[in-house]
Amino acid sequence: MELLHLMARHGYALTFGLLLAEAIGVPFPAAIALVTAGAAVAAHTLWGPYVLLAAVVALVIGDTVQFWLGRYMGWLLLGFLCRVSINPETCILRSAESFYKRGKFTLLVAKFIPGVNTMAAPLAGSMKMRFWQFLRLDFAGAMIYSLAYLGVGYLSRDFLKALLRGFHTAGLAMEAVVLSALVVYAVYRIVQYRRNYMFRIVPRVQVQELAARLASQDADKVQIVDVRSHGYYDEDASRIKNSIRIEPNNLEEEIKNLPRDKDIYLYCT
Amino acid sequence: MAHLLREKGFNTFVIVGGLTAWRKAGEPLEAVPKNDLVKLPTFS
Repeated sequence: MELLHLMARHGYALTFGLLLAEAIGVPFPAAIALVTAGAAVAAHTLWGPYVLLAAVVALVIGDTVQFWLGRYMGWLLLGFLCRVSINPETCILRSAESFYKRGKFTLLVAKFIPGVNTMAAPLAGSMKMRFWQFLRLDFAGAMIYSLAYLGVGYLSRDFLKALLRGFHTAGLAMEAVVLSALVVYAVYRIVQYRRNYMFRIVPRVQVQELAARLASQDADKVQIVDVRSHGYYDEDASRIKNSIRIEPNNLEEEIKNLPRDKDIYLYCT
Repeated sequence: MAHLLREKGFNTFVIVGGLTAWRKAGEPLEAVPKNDLVKLPTFS
């Protein structure tokens, strides 16, 4: 119920702020804000056209920021956004290829697809889409998205009220669920810590130590290997001199090319 | 990955600080060969 009251009091600002946050990459399900705003419109506490305007302007501003970041930061931004995924490199490749294959009209529906909604604007920027074309498609996509969820909220006002009342009643149960989730998370972090501790048995060397070895007669016993998961997308990418690359997604095959008679020094970014 | 390679019999080490530390130390770099660059599609 508080959500509906909050929306009634600060509806336009709240809609604008929450949708802007989602558009610039904050993992917040802005659809909830739109559905609630739609319910507030049905209750005549907000005026539909203003809510729609606030939502569309927020989405277009956020997406435009992402578009230009994608244009100027190139694949670095996508790499950053993809870090939350299990495999950053395949995340970039898959997103770019899927976006390219499905065409520019992906922008019309991207906001409905979790994951793609964050990647679409920076991808369009990185892939050199013309800005005015991006703006037209993004505006249309923002309109479709906003109208769809505002419409859901508008049509399901009574259901939404009942649902929120239900949530209030189920508050204690939710607290128990949150507490359990925290315990599971703590156990997961402990397991991760133990696993990382095990990995520390791999010796680590300082740059100076390796440089000294490369300058010695022992240099032919050294193989430096680049294992960056991304960083191979820009024309001006550089790497350590005489290093070779291992494709992290194809480790079994790549191992066959590694010399067994040399010490292998691995590095990433 | 270093751990996996070690398990497969390679004598692996990890460079502390990676490429950033190497660059900061002024050690030699080279451009990534054109063949190694990953080609991604563009609209232009």
